[in-house]
Amino acid sequence: MSETLQAAETDVEDAVEDAADDTTEDTGARGRSGSSEDLLVQEGDIAGDYLERLLDLLDYDGDIDLDVEAGRAIVSIDGGEDLDKLVGQRGTVLESLQELTRLAVQQETGVRSRLMLDIAQWRAGRRAELADLGRASAEKALSSGERVRLHPMTPFERKVVHDAVATVDGVQSESEGEEPQRRVVIFARA
Amino acid sequence: MSLLADALEHLVRGIVDNPDDVRVTLVTTRRGRTLEVHVHPDDLGKVIGRGGRTATALRTVMAGIGGRGVRVDVVDTDR
Repeated sequence: MSETLQAAETDVEDAVEDAADDTTEDTGARGRSGSSEDLLVQEGDIAGDYLERLLDLLDYDGDIDLDVEAGRAIVSIDGGEDLDKLVGQRGTVLESLQELTRLAVQQETGVRSRLMLDIAQWRAGRRAELADLGRASAEKALSSGERVRLHPMTPFERKVVHDAVATVDGVQSESEGEEPQRRVVIFARA
Repeated sequence: MSLLADALEHLVRGIVDNPDDVRVTLVTTRRGRTLEVHVHPDDLGKVIGRGGRTATALRTVMAGIGGRGVRVDVVDTDR
């Protein structure tokens, strides 16, 4: 496959994702950052070094896996129980570490990073839970005719819920309130 | 405890223009323990971040790795 074709596909995915992605609120993804596969690979390498050194200093066991998916670098850390501390309650530590890792990447590349960090497969597990919650809440909104307000969530969590609600006919969802109290509200479509 | 200082120093070094100027020291006062972050004056904005966002992220990570109850202060010094 030619490089230009790959790059073009990545751009389309980026655009689609940006349109639906609640997280762009705070990544400020004006246009796109990683335009080429090479840059995304480089992002992963820088992030991997930054996080590996952190694990070394803390003496935490962890394997770092690097990937590029849908136009962004994905860094996954799996290993011992210590890693739960880097996830924190409701993933708050994970979100902060992702933020710092993006800054460390930007420091070296000069380009804003949209890198995604996952630790102990927390995002994967949380995603499944949240999708279930989103669908169940959509059904509840449909049958009761009332607005269903969920508890406050991070941008990542809200996006997963919005996506799940969108798979149910006759309901829609929006976010209301200010961070960190911002929450998803689901209601039957008029 | 120097482990916390080392971890914080590493996290900060990665996000500034002058990593060699980064120093983190643990200070104990009557009010408790504080990790003082010293950076090059030109890097203060980077370490604090828009609306204090980066400083908050640093505090959250430090709390997660066992520094709960330890304050993190970005020291604004005129050198």
